[in-house]
Amino acid sequence: MSPALKNALLAFVIASLIFGTGFWVSNLVNQARVNEIQTIQERIATDTLSLETQFDLLARLSCDAITENSILSKELNDLAERLDYTERELGSKNSTVILLKRQYSLLQIKDYLLMQQVASKCNLKPVFILYFYSNQGDCDKCDSAGNVLTYLRKTYEELRVYAFDYHLDLGALQTLISINKIESDFPAFVINGKTYYGLSDLEAIEKVLPLDKLATSTPPRAN
Amino acid sequence: MNLALDIIIYPLLFVALFFEVFALLSFFDKDAVARRKRRENVSYPTVSIIVPCFNEGSTVKGTVDSLLAVDYPKDKFSIILVNDGSTDDTADVMNSYSANPQVAVLHQANSGKHVALNNGIAHATSEFVGCLDADSFVTPQALKRVMANFDDDKIGAVTSSLSVHAPKTLLERMQEAEYLFGIMLRHSMATFNGLYVTPGPFTVFRKRVFEELGPFRSAHQTEDMEIALRLQRAGWKIQNAPSASVFTKAPTTVTGLVKQRTRWSTGFLRNSFDYRDLIGNPKRGVLGLLVLPLAYVSVFSGILLLVISMIRTTEAAWNYVARALEVPFTWDMSALTFDWFFLPISTISILSMVALAIVFAFIFIGAKIAEKDTRFGISLILYFLVYNFIAAIWQVRAVADVITNTKRSWR
Repeated sequence: MSPALKNALLAFVIASLIFGTGFWVSNLVNQARVNEIQTIQERIATDTLSLETQFDLLARLSCDAITENSILSKELNDLAERLDYTERELGSKNSTVILLKRQYSLLQIKDYLLMQQVASKCNLKPVFILYFYSNQGDCDKCDSAGNVLTYLRKTYEELRVYAFDYHLDLGALQTLISINKIESDFPAFVINGKTYYGLSDLEAIEKVLPLDKLATSTPPRAN
Repeated sequence: MNLALDIIIYPLLFVALFFEVFALLSFFDKDAVARRKRRENVSYPTVSIIVPCFNEGSTVKGTVDSLLAVDYPKDKFSIILVNDGSTDDTADVMNSYSANPQVAVLHQANSGKHVALNNGIAHATSEFVGCLDADSFVTPQALKRVMANFDDDKIGAVTSSLSVHAPKTLLERMQEAEYLFGIMLRHSMATFNGLYVTPGPFTVFRKRVFEELGPFRSAHQTEDMEIALRLQRAGWKIQNAPSASVFTKAPTTVTGLVKQRTRWSTGFLRNSFDYRDLIGNPKRGVLGLLVLPLAYVSVFSGILLLVISMIRTTEAAWNYVARALEVPFTWDMSALTFDWFFLPISTISILSMVALAIVFAFIFIGAKIAEKDTRFGISLILYFLVYNFIAAIWQVRAVADVITNTKRSWR
């Protein structure tokens, strides 16, 4: 075999190895991302369970004792950003992404229910937004709506935004949709119990938000 | 759309990596190692170096002075200056050397570089003839080292290691990076007779080659490429003297650079078409099966990658602006914190980094081979980020010129 041919074959093998390594490292990084999301979700699930257990154990829970509230909110937001990035990297049809989204949606629903209990017990008046989107190509306003909600969530700390993929196969989510009678007209919003469709710009969404409640939020009080 | 673009990018990346690894393996071949060490001559055959010149009165003096300083037996080495009908003071500068017994000065009506070279060859009585552009300069050891690489009767020409003379501006330094990369590549490809250009700045030929194959031709304003392809077709070998350093003046404006490189690229496309029997020809070894086909791929892939980059950048910029306009501007401190999760690590980015790292290594190896102490700094970063976009411009221009049969002036 001529030296040139030997070099060419060796170069082909080495280039293939480099290629394979590139794919492998990329997969490792994506797996690390998935693991991080799963870890965060487990942590949130534990913290949620802890808060629920406090409610069950103590008949008269002091609202001052609720320290996980703001931490849970931040963790859920961080989780949402990571899940969104992973979905863009791996694709929305990836089975791992779908499983993570289902777990995340369940955590959101639990947080929503828990925060309603906290609000009732501690005489708070938070503003809840349930946001339903679709990424099956039937919502060209969803990117804008999501962007605006992210801005609002960062601007108003008392605003709690829960985003759900309408078409996600999750029993609890479908029950939530059914209870609120959400139609498949995207984007869809439930803001403090009232349903709205098609809002996507900042002005339109702020118009329907009770901004005065967000601007003057009161600290939690014991019953 | 992204999937379609990825389907184009992956094969191009593989081909680039394959070629880089091949060049690297060739660099470590025992013949290449021996050739890097080859500096001493067994004998000193007669050599004539021809300097064709058209309106280069400002640089030809430096060129001739560098030749007169060459370390080679004076009675075996002559210099032939050919004034190709210049209208500036080139003739006067050349005539000032006519008293030197080593130097012969020829004047001709303006007929083109190839005619000037042929005129010089016709006047040469030496066994070897070489050429040196009038804006280039040789190091004193260059000729010895070139001649030391004529170690095989089948070698018809030996090229040198060409880099930029005293690069100062960012554009010159970016070109320097490119030339140093070329030094490494030329040296590696010469190991398996894979060269298809005998550059004007300091290539030496056996005079016999011209007697057998005929003189230089106009050849689409790239006579140095045509003669190399003609040599290859006739079964001659072209070698490289890696430690024979030669410096050339690089264009100092983007316009000048694009004009020069358009000429080179159209020259390649037209000459390689004329010699298309070499392409894909297994009898031509590395040249036919690897170098020439990949040279074509690199012209079109450069354009393709530019288009893909522009599409992706425009898409990302459009989305960013669209999102930014939806909400008031707020400064988010979290944007400053490092979070590994969001690093753009994908298969394409990893492979691109590997390919770039190898290019980086080639540039530094090229500098070492040519024994050149080059400082880079930001120009190296700009070479990676900016230069390829400029390159795509002359590649598009060259392809368009070939398709539309447009002929441009040399300068």
